Amino acid sequence: MDMMDNQSDALTLWDYYMLNEKTQVSYQGPFDRHILYAIGSMLKGNDVDDNKPFNKKTFSIFIELAQNVASYSAENIKINESSLGIGTLIITEHENYYKLITGNLIYNGSLDKIVDKCETINQLDRDELRRFKREQRRGPRSSHGGANIGLIQVALLSSNPLDIEVIAIDDDKSFFALTVKIDK
Amino acid sequence: MENLNITGVHDVYFRPTVNLDADTGILEISGESYLEETVKFYKQILIWIENYIQEIDKPITFNFRLDYYNTTTSRSILDILDLLKLYQDKEGRVDVNWYCKEEELEYLQEDIEDLAEDSDIEINLIVL
Repeated sequence: MDMMDNQSDALTLWDYYMLNEKTQVSYQGPFDRHILYAIGSMLKGNDVDDNKPFNKKTFSIFIELAQNVASYSAENIKINESSLGIGTLIITEHENYYKLITGNLIYNGSLDKIVDKCETINQLDRDELRRFKREQRRGPRSSHGGANIGLIQVALLSSNPLDIEVIAIDDDKSFFALTVKIDK
Repeated sequence: MENLNITGVHDVYFRPTVNLDADTGILEISGESYLEETVKFYKQILIWIENYIQEIDKPITFNFRLDYYNTTTSRSILDILDLLKLYQDKEGRVDVNWYCKEEELEYLQEDIEDLAEDSDIEINLIVL
Protein backbone atom coordinates (compact mmCIF):
# COMPACT_ATOMS: atom_id res chain seq x y z
CA MET A 1 0.00 0.00 0.00
CA ASP A 2 1.58 3.35 -0.95
CA MET A 3 1.30 6.71 0.76
CA MET A 4 -1.59 7.95 -1.39
CA ASP A 5 -3.78 5.02 -0.45
CA ASN A 6 -3.11 5.63 3.21
CA GLN A 7 -3.99 9.27 2.86
CA SER A 8 -7.18 8.70 0.98
CA ASP A 9 -8.35 6.10 3.50
CA ALA A 10 -7.68 8.48 6.36
CA LEU A 11 -9.49 11.28 4.60
CA THR A 12 -12.57 9.15 4.03
CA LEU A 13 -12.86 8.28 7.69
CA TRP A 14 -12.27 11.90 8.70
CA ASP A 15 -15.01 13.05 6.31
CA TYR A 16 -17.30 10.51 7.80
CA TYR A 17 -16.40 11.60 11.33
CA MET A 18 -17.05 15.25 10.50
CA LEU A 19 -20.38 14.43 8.90
CA ASN A 20 -21.44 12.73 12.10
CA GLU A 21 -19.97 15.02 14.73
CA LYS A 22 -23.07 14.75 16.88
CA THR A 23 -23.35 11.02 16.54
CA GLN A 24 -24.04 9.21 19.77
CA VAL A 25 -24.05 5.73 18.29
CA SER A 26 -23.00 4.45 14.90
CA TYR A 27 -23.03 0.71 14.39
CA GLN A 28 -23.03 -1.63 11.44
CA GLY A 29 -23.01 -5.38 11.72
CA PRO A 30 -24.99 -8.27 13.17
CA PHE A 31 -27.76 -7.19 15.56
CA ASP A 32 -26.39 -9.43 18.26
CA ARG A 33 -28.09 -9.36 21.67
CA HIS A 34 -24.86 -8.49 23.51
CA ILE A 35 -24.21 -5.49 21.31
CA LEU A 36 -27.83 -4.38 21.54
CA TYR A 37 -27.66 -4.77 25.32
CA ALA A 38 -24.60 -2.50 25.49
CA ILE A 39 -26.21 0.18 23.32
CA GLY A 40 -29.54 -0.16 25.14
CA SER A 41 -27.89 0.22 28.55
CA MET A 42 -26.25 3.39 27.39
CA LEU A 43 -29.56 4.80 26.15
CA LYS A 44 -31.35 3.91 29.37
CA GLY A 45 -28.67 5.08 31.71
CA ASN A 46 -26.92 8.02 30.14
CA ASP A 47 -27.46 11.65 30.95
CA VAL A 48 -28.96 12.69 27.63
CA ASP A 49 -31.88 14.07 29.58
CA ASP A 50 -32.78 14.20 33.25
CA ASN A 51 -36.34 13.35 32.32
CA LYS A 52 -36.39 9.59 32.84
CA PRO A 53 -39.41 8.68 30.67
CA PHE A 54 -37.61 10.27 27.75
CA ASN A 55 -34.78 7.79 28.13
CA LYS A 56 -37.19 4.93 28.46
CA LYS A 57 -38.96 6.13 25.31
CA THR A 58 -35.68 6.18 23.41
CA PHE A 59 -34.82 2.77 24.77
CA SER A 60 -38.23 1.33 23.82
CA ILE A 61 -38.03 2.74 20.30
CA PHE A 62 -34.51 1.37 19.95
CA ILE A 63 -35.58 -2.13 21.07
CA GLU A 64 -38.55 -2.30 18.67
CA LEU A 65 -36.53 -1.12 15.66
CA ALA A 66 -33.51 -3.28 16.52
CA GLN A 67 -35.71 -6.36 16.85
CA ASN A 68 -37.13 -5.67 13.40
CA VAL A 69 -33.64 -5.57 11.90
CA ALA A 70 -32.54 -8.70 13.80
CA SER A 71 -35.63 -10.62 12.63
CA TYR A 72 -36.32 -9.28 9.16
CA SER A 73 -33.02 -8.22 7.58
CA ALA A 74 -32.37 -9.99 4.28
CA GLU A 75 -28.69 -10.15 5.18
CA ASN A 76 -27.84 -12.67 7.88
CA ILE A 77 -24.95 -14.22 9.70
CA LYS A 78 -25.01 -17.51 11.59
CA ILE A 79 -23.55 -17.31 15.11
CA ASN A 80 -23.89 -20.29 17.44
CA GLU A 81 -26.72 -21.91 15.49
CA SER A 82 -28.87 -18.78 15.51
CA SER A 83 -29.31 -16.53 12.52
CA LEU A 84 -28.81 -12.81 13.15
CA GLY A 85 -29.92 -9.98 10.91
CA ILE A 86 -27.28 -7.52 9.78
CA GLY A 87 -28.00 -3.83 9.64
CA THR A 88 -27.00 -0.30 10.48
CA LEU A 89 -27.96 1.82 13.47
CA ILE A 90 -27.22 5.51 13.92
CA ILE A 91 -28.33 7.78 16.74
CA THR A 92 -27.62 11.50 16.40
CA GLU A 93 -28.33 14.47 18.60
CA HIS A 94 -29.82 17.70 17.26
CA GLU A 95 -30.90 20.91 18.91
CA ASN A 96 -34.46 19.91 19.75
CA TYR A 97 -34.53 16.20 19.08
CA TYR A 98 -32.66 12.94 18.77
CA LYS A 99 -32.74 10.95 15.57
CA LEU A 100 -32.66 7.17 15.52
CA ILE A 101 -32.01 5.53 12.15
CA THR A 102 -31.95 1.86 11.24
CA GLY A 103 -31.16 0.46 7.82
CA ASN A 104 -31.07 -3.04 6.43
CA LEU A 105 -31.50 -5.06 3.27
CA ILE A 106 -35.00 -6.37 2.77
CA TYR A 107 -36.43 -8.89 0.31
CA ASN A 108 -38.55 -7.16 -2.32
CA GLY A 109 -41.35 -9.61 -1.53
CA SER A 110 -41.73 -8.05 1.94
CA LEU A 111 -41.14 -4.47 0.87
CA ASP A 112 -44.69 -3.43 -0.07
CA LYS A 113 -46.08 -4.70 3.20
CA ILE A 114 -43.72 -2.69 5.38
CA VAL A 115 -43.91 0.47 3.23
CA ASP A 116 -47.73 0.27 3.25
CA LYS A 117 -47.70 -0.14 7.01
CA CYS A 118 -45.48 2.91 7.51
CA GLU A 119 -47.63 4.98 5.15
CA THR A 120 -50.80 3.91 6.94
CA ILE A 121 -49.26 4.80 10.32
CA ASN A 122 -48.24 8.26 9.05
CA GLN A 123 -51.79 9.02 7.88
CA LEU A 124 -53.45 8.27 11.22
CA ASP A 125 -54.01 10.66 14.12
CA ARG A 126 -53.23 9.56 17.67
CA ASP A 127 -56.64 8.02 18.46
CA GLU A 128 -56.74 6.19 15.13
CA LEU A 129 -53.21 4.96 15.73
CA ARG A 130 -54.19 3.54 19.13
CA ARG A 131 -57.19 1.81 17.55
CA PHE A 132 -54.95 0.39 14.80
CA LYS A 133 -52.54 -0.88 17.48
CA ARG A 134 -55.37 -2.62 19.35
CA GLU A 135 -56.66 -4.28 16.16
CA GLN A 136 -53.20 -5.50 15.16
CA ARG A 137 -52.30 -6.73 18.66
CA ARG A 138 -55.54 -8.68 18.78
CA GLY A 139 -54.62 -10.49 15.54
CA PRO A 140 -52.35 -13.53 15.13
CA ARG A 141 -48.70 -13.24 16.15
CA SER A 142 -45.97 -12.80 13.54
CA SER A 143 -43.72 -15.68 12.46
CA HIS A 144 -41.25 -14.51 15.14
CA GLY A 145 -43.90 -14.44 17.88
CA GLY A 146 -44.20 -10.66 17.69
CA ALA A 147 -47.35 -8.62 18.15
CA ASN A 148 -47.09 -6.77 14.79
CA ILE A 149 -47.32 -3.43 16.57
CA GLY A 150 -43.64 -2.45 16.92
CA LEU A 151 -43.78 0.31 14.30
CA ILE A 152 -47.13 1.61 15.59
CA GLN A 153 -45.73 1.82 19.10
CA VAL A 154 -42.63 3.61 17.76
CA ALA A 155 -44.87 6.22 16.10
CA LEU A 156 -46.96 6.61 19.28
CA LEU A 157 -43.90 6.95 21.52
CA SER A 158 -42.06 9.39 19.28
CA SER A 159 -45.20 11.38 18.31
CA ASN A 160 -43.52 11.89 14.95
CA PRO A 161 -43.99 10.31 11.50
CA LEU A 162 -41.88 7.36 10.37
CA ASP A 163 -39.52 8.66 7.71
CA ILE A 164 -38.68 5.89 5.27
CA GLU A 165 -36.20 5.56 2.45
CA VAL A 166 -36.07 2.71 -0.04
CA ILE A 167 -33.20 2.11 -2.45
CA ALA A 168 -33.61 -0.63 -5.06
CA ILE A 169 -30.60 -2.94 -5.10
CA ASP A 170 -31.53 -5.75 -7.50
CA ASP A 171 -34.46 -8.00 -8.47
CA ASP A 172 -34.29 -9.69 -5.11
CA LYS A 173 -33.49 -7.05 -2.51
CA SER A 174 -33.76 -3.39 -1.58
CA PHE A 175 -32.23 -1.26 1.14
CA PHE A 176 -34.76 -0.02 3.66
CA ALA A 177 -33.98 2.81 6.07
CA LEU A 178 -36.24 4.13 8.79
CA THR A 179 -35.68 7.41 10.62
CA VAL A 180 -37.52 8.39 13.79
CA LYS A 181 -37.27 11.78 15.48
CA ILE A 182 -37.60 11.82 19.25
CA ASP A 183 -38.31 15.30 20.59
CA LYS A 184 -36.20 16.47 23.53
CA MET B 1 -51.56 -26.44 44.23
CA GLU B 2 -47.98 -25.18 44.08
CA ASN B 3 -47.06 -21.54 43.87
CA LEU B 4 -45.11 -20.29 40.87
CA ASN B 5 -42.12 -18.11 41.72
CA ILE B 6 -39.63 -16.91 39.14
CA THR B 7 -36.77 -14.58 40.01
CA GLY B 8 -36.25 -11.72 37.60
CA VAL B 9 -32.99 -11.41 35.72
CA HIS B 10 -31.62 -8.28 34.14
CA ASP B 11 -29.12 -9.57 31.61
CA VAL B 12 -29.01 -9.26 27.82
CA TYR B 13 -32.74 -10.00 28.06
CA PHE B 14 -34.98 -8.84 30.92
CA ARG B 15 -36.93 -11.53 32.73
CA PRO B 16 -39.62 -10.22 35.07
CA THR B 17 -40.12 -11.46 38.63
CA VAL B 18 -43.22 -13.64 38.90
CA ASN B 19 -45.03 -14.57 42.13
CA LEU B 20 -48.24 -16.51 41.73
CA ASP B 21 -49.56 -17.47 45.17
CA ALA B 22 -52.31 -20.11 45.23
CA ASP B 23 -53.00 -19.60 48.97
CA THR B 24 -53.68 -15.86 48.85
CA GLY B 25 -54.82 -15.55 45.22
CA ILE B 26 -52.38 -12.67 44.81
CA LEU B 27 -50.61 -12.93 41.46
CA GLU B 28 -47.83 -10.51 40.59
CA ILE B 29 -45.54 -9.79 37.67
CA SER B 30 -42.93 -7.11 38.27
CA GLY B 31 -39.84 -5.54 36.80
CA GLU B 32 -39.06 -5.49 33.11
CA SER B 33 -40.08 -7.88 30.35
CA TYR B 34 -38.07 -8.31 27.17
CA LEU B 35 -37.43 -11.97 26.51
CA GLU B 36 -35.87 -14.25 23.96
CA GLU B 37 -38.81 -16.66 24.08
CA THR B 38 -41.75 -14.55 25.16
CA VAL B 39 -44.53 -16.95 24.20
CA LYS B 40 -42.92 -19.87 26.04
CA PHE B 41 -42.27 -17.81 29.17
CA TYR B 42 -45.85 -16.54 29.46
CA LYS B 43 -47.33 -19.93 28.57
CA GLN B 44 -46.35 -21.30 32.02
CA ILE B 45 -48.11 -18.34 33.67
CA LEU B 46 -51.24 -18.85 31.58
CA ILE B 47 -51.30 -22.58 32.41
CA TRP B 48 -50.89 -21.81 36.14
CA ILE B 49 -53.82 -19.36 36.06
CA GLU B 50 -55.99 -21.88 34.18
CA ASN B 51 -55.21 -24.50 36.85
CA TYR B 52 -55.94 -22.03 39.67
CA ILE B 53 -59.31 -21.19 38.15
CA GLN B 54 -60.19 -24.89 37.78
CA GLU B 55 -58.79 -26.23 41.08
CA ILE B 56 -58.99 -23.32 43.54
CA ASP B 57 -61.77 -21.19 42.07
CA LYS B 58 -61.23 -18.32 44.55
CA PRO B 59 -60.79 -14.56 44.07
CA ILE B 60 -57.76 -13.30 42.16
CA THR B 61 -55.90 -10.06 42.69
CA PHE B 62 -53.54 -9.56 39.79
CA ASN B 63 -50.86 -6.94 40.36
CA PHE B 64 -48.81 -5.74 37.43
CA ARG B 65 -45.68 -3.91 38.53
CA LEU B 66 -43.99 -3.84 35.13
CA ASP B 67 -42.22 -0.64 34.26
CA TYR B 68 -40.89 -1.79 30.92
CA TYR B 69 -42.25 -4.37 28.49
CA ASN B 70 -41.71 -4.68 24.75
CA THR B 71 -44.60 -4.98 22.29
CA THR B 72 -44.12 -8.76 22.02
CA THR B 73 -44.71 -9.00 25.78
CA SER B 74 -47.79 -6.79 25.51
CA ARG B 75 -49.43 -9.48 23.38
CA SER B 76 -48.87 -11.97 26.22
CA ILE B 77 -50.23 -9.51 28.79
CA LEU B 78 -53.35 -9.37 26.65
CA ASP B 79 -53.56 -13.18 26.80
CA ILE B 80 -53.47 -12.99 30.62
CA LEU B 81 -56.14 -10.28 30.73
CA ASP B 82 -58.35 -12.30 28.35
CA LEU B 83 -58.12 -15.28 30.68
CA LEU B 84 -58.97 -13.16 33.73
CA LYS B 85 -61.92 -11.63 31.87
CA LEU B 86 -63.20 -15.11 31.05
CA TYR B 87 -63.04 -16.01 34.76
CA GLN B 88 -64.82 -12.77 35.68
CA ASP B 89 -67.59 -13.56 33.18
CA LYS B 90 -68.06 -16.93 34.89
CA GLU B 91 -68.65 -15.23 38.27
CA GLY B 92 -64.99 -15.35 39.34
CA ARG B 93 -63.89 -12.38 41.43
CA VAL B 94 -60.97 -10.63 39.78
CA ASP B 95 -59.24 -7.34 40.59
CA VAL B 96 -56.49 -6.09 38.31
CA ASN B 97 -54.09 -3.42 39.55
CA TRP B 98 -51.23 -1.78 37.72
CA TYR B 99 -48.70 -0.05 39.96
CA CYS B 100 -46.86 2.69 38.13
CA LYS B 101 -44.29 5.25 39.27
CA GLU B 102 -45.42 8.80 38.64
CA GLU B 103 -42.49 9.52 36.33
CA GLU B 104 -43.37 6.46 34.20
CA LEU B 105 -47.01 7.49 33.79
CA GLU B 106 -46.53 9.50 30.60
CA TYR B 107 -44.76 6.57 29.02
CA LEU B 108 -47.06 3.73 30.22
CA GLN B 109 -50.57 5.10 30.76
CA GLU B 110 -51.88 5.00 27.19
CA ASP B 111 -50.89 1.40 26.62
CA ILE B 112 -52.36 0.28 29.96
CA GLU B 113 -55.63 1.99 28.94
CA ASP B 114 -55.47 0.26 25.56
CA LEU B 115 -54.89 -3.14 27.17
CA ALA B 116 -57.90 -2.56 29.46
CA GLU B 117 -60.12 -1.48 26.58
CA ASP B 118 -59.01 -4.34 24.37
CA SER B 119 -59.61 -7.04 26.99
CA ASP B 120 -62.73 -5.31 28.35
CA ILE B 121 -61.46 -5.67 31.91
CA GLU B 122 -61.01 -2.86 34.42
CA ILE B 123 -57.39 -2.08 35.33
CA ASN B 124 -56.92 0.08 38.43
CA LEU B 125 -53.97 2.32 37.73
CA ILE B 126 -52.24 3.02 41.02
CA VAL B 127 -49.68 5.81 40.89
CA LEU B 128 -46.79 5.36 43.30
